[in-house]
Amino acid sequence: MDENLVSWFVMVKFENVSKKFGNIIALSDITFEVEDGEFVFITGPSGSGKTTLLRLLMRELLPDHGKIIVGKQDIVKLEGKEVPFYRQGMGVVFQDFKVLPERTVRENVEVALAVINIPQKEWISRVDHVLKLVGLMERAELFPSQLSGGEIQRVSLARALVVNPKIIIADEPTGNLDWETATQIMDLFEKINKEGKTIFVASHHEAIMKKMGKRVVKLKGGKLVK
Amino acid sequence: MNIHFKTAFSGIRRSPFQAFSAVLVLSVTFFVVTILTISLYASDKLLNYFETRPQVIAFLKDDISSGDISFLQERLAQDMRVKDIKYVSKEEALAIYKEATTDNPLLAELVTPSIFPASLEFSLTDLNYAKDVIEEVKSEAVVDQVGFTANLGGEATLQNTVERLRLITKYVRLGGGVFVGIMLLASFTVLVVIISMRLTTRRGEIEILNLIGATVNFIRGPVIIEALTYVAVGVFLGWILAFIITLYLSPSLVAYFNQIEILPRNTINLFGLFGMILGSELVIGLTLALIGGFLAVSRSLKKK
Repeated sequence: MDENLVSWFVMVKFENVSKKFGNIIALSDITFEVEDGEFVFITGPSGSGKTTLLRLLMRELLPDHGKIIVGKQDIVKLEGKEVPFYRQGMGVVFQDFKVLPERTVRENVEVALAVINIPQKEWISRVDHVLKLVGLMERAELFPSQLSGGEIQRVSLARALVVNPKIIIADEPTGNLDWETATQIMDLFEKINKEGKTIFVASHHEAIMKKMGKRVVKLKGGKLVK
Repeated sequence: MNIHFKTAFSGIRRSPFQAFSAVLVLSVTFFVVTILTISLYASDKLLNYFETRPQVIAFLKDDISSGDISFLQERLAQDMRVKDIKYVSKEEALAIYKEATTDNPLLAELVTPSIFPASLEFSLTDLNYAKDVIEEVKSEAVVDQVGFTANLGGEATLQNTVERLRLITKYVRLGGGVFVGIMLLASFTVLVVIISMRLTTRRGEIEILNLIGATVNFIRGPVIIEALTYVAVGVFLGWILAFIITLYLSPSLVAYFNQIEILPRNTINLFGLFGMILGSELVIGLTLALIGGFLAVSRSLKKK
């Protein structure tokens, strides 16, 4: 197969990636590939390196060794000023939500559109679309403090989706949620995945992973075990 | 409303005391800048008045021909140190005398043109030339006496007056410049501190914006708008206060300085002068805000 064609289909590739924090090995010689449109769970016990792996993918951290290829680009080599533009191509759902507490649900989602310079006249239709998708249309004018944990997580998801990203990264998106809400959130991820988005979900929620039946990348002590 | 404006104004609304202190310091600074600019303008006008009025009067002898007068006038006109030379005949001298004594017509009736000498009046391009020029003119055969403008009290007094004015203007400029520099530095520091405080309170938001791909310019936008707002309000308040005070004092100043136009008497010109001051202050202020905003954001992002 033509090499360019291979790299086109391989959306994300970790190649011998290692990361240490002082003497603590967070990730050790990690190599794996994720294809375009694939849904991958990153799993493992606490401290196994799941979050570090996602932070490397977000280019929030740099590895000590190895390459991280996204599309055709080694993101390790990105210059500081290029990083925001790289991040604009992905949607991130954080474990601790990271919503803006002083902005309404609608404004939280709008911020993501403002960041990528979408004209203001397009905001209403795009925001309404994702709020309907995550079931928060009725809550659009409320502040995060007026929402439940599951609803806040959905705000975070709506913000990630509204920019129409190629890759979605979610760090323990169901960590603080009950089974029913967690299932709803994962159903949403599956729906989004069917639209062709590549999805990385860090989770240690065995039941959810079993229910979803997707590919699992398992880490233990910073090493890839599955 | 644009998201950056919304963020900036909500920041101002949420921290009214920070906003108030920024505006207060900037208002005081630009009030002083406006008053100082007006003072410099007035002292320049005052100096210019004394420098350009006829400073030297060469009283001519009675028995000289018009050819001799023309010859001397021509020669002085070619002298680079001399400017605005004017011949005043005996009749014109009488007319000036009559005008000066309108309060007491009896004084004017007692005199005839013959008792007034004709004269050549002129100014000097620089008062430092006064001594030499006067000596040279005194030595002319057609010249009877030479003196500075009489009502200022003679040679030494006029020179002293102008020198004193120059010195005052110089110190007003120097002292004012230093003072304004210090005030601008204080305003700049206050602005940077307030913006940095705002960035500290927005640290969480900035972290989130960073993670979702916001560029430095996006993060900087609301901060710069906030700084520009403080500066615009501060400049305007300082300027308008100085303008009102100047308008209030104008009648007294006009009466005190009489024919010396230290401030424009025409309303349009006065507004024009203050308009120019406002424009310049806005440029200075906006530059301060931009530099302060950029500096504060850079420091804040580096700290992160």
